[in-house]
Amino acid sequence: MRTKITSEIAGQVWKVIAKQGDSVAVDDVIVILESMKMEIPVQATKAGVVSELLVAEEDMISEDQHIATIESE
Amino acid sequence: MSWQDQIDEIHQRRALAKQQGGAEAVDKHHAKGRLTIRERIDGLLDDNSFDEVGEGAGVPEYDENGKLKDFQPANFILGFGQLDGRKVIVGGEDFTVKGGSPNPAGLRKSVYTEELALQYKMPLIRLHEGGGGSVGGTGQDKKRRPLGEPVFSTSRFVPLAKTLGVVPVATAALGPVAGLPAARLVASHFSVMTENAAVLIAGPQVVKRALGHDMTKEELGGPAVHLKSGAIDNLAVDEQDAFDQIRQFLSYLPDNAWAFPPHLSNDDKIDRCDDTLASIVPTNRRQPFQMRKIINAVVDQQNGDSSFFEMGRKYGPSLITGLARLNGHAVGVIGNDCMFYAGAMTASAAQKLRRFADFCNSFHLPIVSFVDEPGFMIGPDSEMAGTIRHGTAAISAVLQSRVPWASVQVLKAFGVAAQAHFGLESYILSWPSAASGALPVEGGVAVAFGREIAAADDPEARQKELEDMLAASQSPFPRAEGLSVHEIIDPRETRPKLIAWLENAQHAYRTTAPEPYLTTMRP
Repeated sequence: MRTKITSEIAGQVWKVIAKQGDSVAVDDVIVILESMKMEIPVQATKAGVVSELLVAEEDMISEDQHIATIESE
Repeated sequence: MSWQDQIDEIHQRRALAKQQGGAEAVDKHHAKGRLTIRERIDGLLDDNSFDEVGEGAGVPEYDENGKLKDFQPANFILGFGQLDGRKVIVGGEDFTVKGGSPNPAGLRKSVYTEELALQYKMPLIRLHEGGGGSVGGTGQDKKRRPLGEPVFSTSRFVPLAKTLGVVPVATAALGPVAGLPAARLVASHFSVMTENAAVLIAGPQVVKRALGHDMTKEELGGPAVHLKSGAIDNLAVDEQDAFDQIRQFLSYLPDNAWAFPPHLSNDDKIDRCDDTLASIVPTNRRQPFQMRKIINAVVDQQNGDSSFFEMGRKYGPSLITGLARLNGHAVGVIGNDCMFYAGAMTASAAQKLRRFADFCNSFHLPIVSFVDEPGFMIGPDSEMAGTIRHGTAAISAVLQSRVPWASVQVLKAFGVAAQAHFGLESYILSWPSAASGALPVEGGVAVAFGREIAAADDPEARQKELEDMLAASQSPFPRAEGLSVHEIIDPRETRPKLIAWLENAQHAYRTTAPEPYLTTMRP
């Protein structure tokens, strides 16, 4: 099963925490965005393996943008 | 001679009406995973409490001997009932008859719903599933020339609008809801939709013909759209969850605008001080925290469950709105969520706040605000959304409030938007983490001291120095010294302090008989 991880806010990618192929649990941080001078984590909503990571540090992100994909059973 | 034949026909008509659209239509409806309107009403109300109104409304069909053969009931079911022992009025479309699109008797009953609520001044619940009118009319004789409504008739929207100032109105979308039923759905103080519901002004075929968009009804008006658009407040995992949410929502509210909200005792301790509150706000202001954890730690808990009932989480998400209890008293709760644009007031958050403040005033709910406000949202999208107008309207709604108001300044209170968190005669508590001023230091220093920073030998060091200096001036301690806040408190004391305030505030507030709330034009 594929789960799209999207950003609920616009901002800039400050740090990419997860790597493609990483196993993640629910609420694990995938990337941290900087928005309005704050560090806002984008977290896994499903446990599984990060199969796609679609952003890099300093990328500008818009609301609802697809950030990563998690494959799970 | 007796009236037995007529009495038999009454019972026969009632039995036929209970068959709704017939066994086949009911089976088809169940196959979609949906309950019929009669099952919904039974699922919502206290056992055996439904007292139907207009059960005999419909169209009879007679055989050649003048005997009743069939009876098509009104496709809107309406009546009185009890919810947790309190009287309510409940109604909803019968989707098994004409897909809920009103037949003549159904239309009359649906319009009568609000009239009943206004007459009896009881909370109103509408369970919607159905379409609006069709170009073919409501099933009347197609050969007749349409005469329209007489000029002296009252628009059916008059009672629909009036109810919002008179009784609490809760609605649910439990399937496709379009046209007039959709308008009735959103004319409410609280609305909930199930995952398989869709709310539409017009359905896919009409949209495709007019605009060329080829979309399903779920894509047009499913939960992903309308929880975010703000048309609907909450999502329900199934129909029972929708009924449970309506029951919980109404538990905080009075029967009507002439009564105060009910007090429901619980065993949570007044002096419960949650230790997590001492460190929940990070000292590094770049790092976010969970405002909902603060709200849940402060309000009443019963058997481990928080009394906080959130409404509209997905809409204007930088502002949290909901209902809760403090020592059994119902209160409206607002709070900034810094996970969304640092908690800034967006256009949608402002509209959410204005609506919520008016709602609390309509039903005499004191308001508790947990403040972490960086200001109005900035940038081109925010300007284009008219945030300044919506934000100013929200501030007007707050400052026109007549309900008791308490503000807990958790962290930021900056700019004009900070005014949206402090009502008249607000009781103000400040946490040690609080910071106030015209602009947050992080954003304001580089602008206000741009030349000085640029001219410095080490611009970065000078900026940091200025930020530290100005951050100290935003400290809550001088404000407490000047009685600019009522108290600066240990965050763990928030619950007992708020309860003590609420008991005092109710003492004065309840000396005047409650009455409907009237507002003025706002920006």
